Amino acid sequence: MSGRLRVALTSRDPAVRDRPLACLVADLDVAGLLAECADLEAFRRETGNLYERVRALFFLCSIHRDELPKRAGFAPRGRVPYDGYRHLLARRFEEAIAVFLRAGAVDGPNDALSSAFAQAYHQLGFQTLADQVRRSVRSAHGNQWMFRVGHPLDQPLRLRPEVLARASADAPFPVLHERTPVRMDLTHSAWSDIFFLGMDHPEGARVLNASVDLAVRGRDPQPEPPIECWLRVIDAPVLRLCSVDLGAFADIDSLEEVFDFARDYLGLLKAAVIGAGVIPPGLEGSDRELRQVLATLCGEGRGLEVVSRVRDIPKGSRLAVSTNLLASLIALCMRATGQTKRLTGPLDEGERRTVAARAILGEWLGGSGGGWQDSGGIWPGLKRIEGQLAGYGDPEASVSRGRLLPGHQTLDDEAFPAAARQGLQDGLVLVHGGMAQNVGPILEMVTEKYLLRREPERTARLEAESIFDEILAGLRSADMDAVARATSRNFEGPITTIVPWATNAFTAAVIEELRARLGDGYRGFLMLGGMSGGGMGFFVDPKLGPGVRDLVQEVLLEQKRRFADALPFAMDPVVYDFSINPVGTSAELVPGEQALLAEGYYALVFPSLLRVDPSQLPLSRRRELERVGNACRSRPSLSGLLPRLFDAMLPAVGSEGGSGQVLAERLEESGFDRELHERVRRDLLSGRVGLAQNRLPPSASIEDVTSEDVVDTLGGVAPRLAERGLDALSRGEVAVVTLAGGAASRWTQGAGVVKALHPFCRFDGRHRSFLDVHLAKTRRVAAAAGARIPHVFTTSVFTHGPIERALRAHADDGHVLALASPGRAVGLRLVPTERDLRFLWEETSHQVLDERRQRMRESVHEALIGWARASGEASDYTDNLPNACLHPIGHFFEVPNMFRNGVLRRLIEEQPQLRWLCVHNVDTVGVDLDPARLGLVLESGRAMTFEVVPRRIEDVGGGLARVDGRVRLVEGLAMPDEAAEFRLSYYNTGTTWVDLDALFDVFGLTRDALADEEAVTRAVRRVAERMPTYVTIKDVKKRWGHGQEDVFPVSQFEKLWGDLSALPELSTAFHVVPRVRGQQLKDPAQLEGFVRDGSARFVEQLCAFGAGA
Amino acid sequence: MRIQKAVVTAAGRGQRRIPLQEVVDRDGRTRSVLRILCDDVAAAGCEQVAVVVRPGDEAAFEDAAGDVPVRMHFVQQDEPRGYGDALLCAADFVGDDPFLHVVGDHLFVARGGVGCARQLVEVARREGVAVSAVQATRENRIGRFGTVGGHLVPGRSRLYEVERVLEKPTPTVAEQELTVPGLRAGRYLCFFGLHVLTPAVFEQLRVLGAGATLTDALASLLGREKYLAYEVEGARHDLGERLGLFSAQLELGLAGVDRDEFLEVVLAVLAERERGGSTGGVEART
Repeated sequence: MSGRLRVALTSRDPAVRDRPLACLVADLDVAGLLAECADLEAFRRETGNLYERVRALFFLCSIHRDELPKRAGFAPRGRVPYDGYRHLLARRFEEAIAVFLRAGAVDGPNDALSSAFAQAYHQLGFQTLADQVRRSVRSAHGNQWMFRVGHPLDQPLRLRPEVLARASADAPFPVLHERTPVRMDLTHSAWSDIFFLGMDHPEGARVLNASVDLAVRGRDPQPEPPIECWLRVIDAPVLRLCSVDLGAFADIDSLEEVFDFARDYLGLLKAAVIGAGVIPPGLEGSDRELRQVLATLCGEGRGLEVVSRVRDIPKGSRLAVSTNLLASLIALCMRATGQTKRLTGPLDEGERRTVAARAILGEWLGGSGGGWQDSGGIWPGLKRIEGQLAGYGDPEASVSRGRLLPGHQTLDDEAFPAAARQGLQDGLVLVHGGMAQNVGPILEMVTEKYLLRREPERTARLEAESIFDEILAGLRSADMDAVARATSRNFEGPITTIVPWATNAFTAAVIEELRARLGDGYRGFLMLGGMSGGGMGFFVDPKLGPGVRDLVQEVLLEQKRRFADALPFAMDPVVYDFSINPVGTSAELVPGEQALLAEGYYALVFPSLLRVDPSQLPLSRRRELERVGNACRSRPSLSGLLPRLFDAMLPAVGSEGGSGQVLAERLEESGFDRELHERVRRDLLSGRVGLAQNRLPPSASIEDVTSEDVVDTLGGVAPRLAERGLDALSRGEVAVVTLAGGAASRWTQGAGVVKALHPFCRFDGRHRSFLDVHLAKTRRVAAAAGARIPHVFTTSVFTHGPIERALRAHADDGHVLALASPGRAVGLRLVPTERDLRFLWEETSHQVLDERRQRMRESVHEALIGWARASGEASDYTDNLPNACLHPIGHFFEVPNMFRNGVLRRLIEEQPQLRWLCVHNVDTVGVDLDPARLGLVLESGRAMTFEVVPRRIEDVGGGLARVDGRVRLVEGLAMPDEAAEFRLSYYNTGTTWVDLDALFDVFGLTRDALADEEAVTRAVRRVAERMPTYVTIKDVKKRWGHGQEDVFPVSQFEKLWGDLSALPELSTAFHVVPRVRGQQLKDPAQLEGFVRDGSARFVEQLCAFGAGA
Repeated sequence: MRIQKAVVTAAGRGQRRIPLQEVVDRDGRTRSVLRILCDDVAAAGCEQVAVVVRPGDEAAFEDAAGDVPVRMHFVQQDEPRGYGDALLCAADFVGDDPFLHVVGDHLFVARGGVGCARQLVEVARREGVAVSAVQATRENRIGRFGTVGGHLVPGRSRLYEVERVLEKPTPTVAEQELTVPGLRAGRYLCFFGLHVLTPAVFEQLRVLGAGATLTDALASLLGREKYLAYEVEGARHDLGERLGLFSAQLELGLAGVDRDEFLEVVLAVLAERERGGSTGGVEART
């Protein structure tokens, strides 16, 4: 009988309500699961309780994603209706689900459709939660009025008279100066500060949060509040915003620009000004003048200037720097507009809570997000922050169990004695490991696991809750060793159980090394924030003194160098000195004549003023130049300003030349074809090639294949074939080719590392790279076959050196002959054309984001189109590190490169019997030289055998099709329209079995001809010309400042391996393989599913990690 | 509770000339603001009025009041130091009696036949406690007024038990501390300019010391004695505001015997402007 899940969701008994979904449905077959789905679908529409609705959605997602595909008798193939997919992209989740339900009624349940259901329910679940947070933020008392202000005359705020007081009409206005510490989470209670968790389970949402001042070791003399901001009235009707750290300032004179968060680097300041009610959010789109609002606030003809600085604390510190900066700015603006009782000094408790609520609002407005503890820096000292049950009068009452805003209780001297404070400051080494990470997927994983009550994560969460009490007790008794033990256990146990990706090879190596070097002096690890690798802490014996911090820095640097090619580092590691801040955020009012802003402000703003004829400057600016000039002579703190101004106004000649020279050399040595490059540029500009031109003509007939066109091996391969395969292996007829030229641009969002060397997952107790795993699979098969199998990693200019070094480090145990095949061609990226950018963003389907983020994205797109125009469409992209300007020109060339670079010739010389290559992408971790599959390939005798998988909704980018009568692989780029792809049943895995001699025939070569370099080059060029050229747009990161990153879209071109399947002279076969074998790992967000669906276990079983691996 | 005394505070900064202004009242008569206030106070049952003025202003005020139906006293306030100080100046006049406080720079126009002061005094008599007249005010204006938070007295309409009093709050604070169940979102109960107070307020003002505002004193009264707020049926016009006198005259005109004549003037001005003609030549029919 269906309905057991509904019963569990609504049960008042926690033992029933909190049972893991997997246990609840363990005994159900396909029909039983589908009946539960139908009931849950009805239930989620009926229930008025937010969390019952959301849990029902996640249950539905999990059944479709995790349970149904495992059940016997579940149809492995099907199609996803294109209409539903379009609805999903446009975030019309209910409409998408309706389409999928109708399709299910017609086609019957199947794997493809379930993948679509899973995605729809997953996204709808998060959308529902996010909507609730937004509603709560808007309806928080103190925030509501700002949304009702629709006209400048409705603005109820006025500047306080103290801020407007000045000696005379041409005297400067006073400056309000706010200083704010950042927050450090001492407990990491298993991400219990995620809003969704705190609002459903407030009892479990607890953290200990310390306000800390920081000093970067070796740079700053002593710890100080790292966040500073300034506000003053100016004699111009504009909003002048300046971020000293980001080097950005602007005079804003329209409301439209205030609400345009992505136009420049001032989004956070804008969010603060809006979130504080200075420019209330209700004014957005009001068609009114900013000047009017400013006149109401501070008088006709006047405006406001707001400046921020975070003392160069790098991004990713896990100390919630940006949220606390937002809170600091909001506090500053609230003080100036009379929304606090006192203009200066610390805030009172009610005011701090208002600031915290508005910081959440500001984050929502600006499209970012954080946990509810993140604005903790505005409170003093160490505080206990806990979820609160929603009660009468709360906007959350009857919607969720908990309130949006937690409660804060500052620990007194008994709970946090002076000895504990000192012990913490002396014994905890706070660092930034230098890694750049995106923690967004981690927070989603945590939320989902919590809602599904998965095991062992649920038990881990309970353990984390108990560790909180241990840390509290340790602090009370000033027993820092106990605190260190508890935080370490928390990291090694609950945190990495709930999200294994919270740690990584770098963190593990640093801990191991510090343990080894410090012995008993090493006391424990403190995990900070969503992931380790950036901000984190190490407990040490305080008796070791300050010198231990130097040692920690040394170890961090060593390990960073070790992993520099494999993991995304944004900067060199940094060690901080810190102290607990006893005040929280605090402000002072500095009289106008003495009031100076940050030194960096003047270095940023003055050059443009100094270039102007002084008589053209407003009097107030001239006076300011005089004041600062005088101060430079008398104040030591400003002594560095004049040289900085000189540097800014007269940049040293040739300072830009270094990287250009390196780029030119790199191009020279990498086989860059200038002639081809210029041809592509001309074609791009003329519109001969471009994103739209990648597509096959609309007249092309594209049909799905039939069962006769493929060999279905989902049910397994006949065992007898294994013997044949094993024979071929033992005779040395087979080699593996792993395409490893990639820089993991999607995996690291453009940061660029060597994907093959990226230690992506733990296997056999250690983090292993893709390269480790591929070698281990070959090793196992070779051992079974009693053979030595060649394993070639094709590389590119980006990856060759590191991969070659890594291969040398792998001990040769006689089973695997590991070789690197250097890439012989490279392209230089181009600034994209506006036409291609518009095609990419406007003509092709994209996932629509939620309202705010979508607007941010559109604004970013406009800015990037402006950048492309200003930089010159199709001009060389050289404004980045050399490697970021180059690109591989497509994996079509990877195997032909082996013809050209001598690697294949060497293999054939050593193993003349070599005949078959198994070519696969570096991220297809489930593929191996399975003897039975090899036997099947041998039996079919085709020149090329491509492995495909039944398609799921996430498999976008081409597939297997009958194109104008020929069965072949079609790239997504070549699809004449998007809907065509959704008619295809199979997706390309990127794995190909190649008969070398048949391939030689296509190239017009023979084994002996490989020695003739010129003939080989001619042959490759001839075949390449028959292959289509695709223009693609990739995102590259440009790093600057202190861990800051920008992403730019750049054009490049490529020729793709799968198009060989279109050559009529090649005989082909297409084998349908299980997903565990064909799945490619492109994105870290896939890792969770990779472990959950058993793929990781499957891969581990295929591996034999050698001693050196 | 018998309320026979009233205090009109008129010594504030920028207030000294306002009560002397003349307007056309609802009956079509031209009267000074002070005279209208005194007539309202008399209609509320008060027999004596103390007007708090700056030294030297007495003669002008006496002249503006004319032949009022109450006994007038003048109390001097040396410097404008707020309503709290002004009331303290009148403490001897008030003695041990409850009294009506009227701010001298406002005009109060009742919606029905009963004057605003009388409405308030009747409620105070009935309840026997201090009562402030209040008006539901949009949040964009609350920064100019003392504002109260509380809840409706069960079974009573327009009468509130006051739980919180704040002077010129921002909407941020108002939303957190002054919301009143039953009022529309974004509206708060702001002082109307009329209060019936007990002499306890003087004690609080003295305790709080120099610089204490009337709102401070009322806030400190909370918890010591019952204090109510009454939403009067009428409108207040702050004559110190830029368009205060204009709006007061407009309301009086439209609510009084000369309504048609007022309308005709307004329409004629509008019509002339619409035609692009001179507005200077429009004359009311007499």
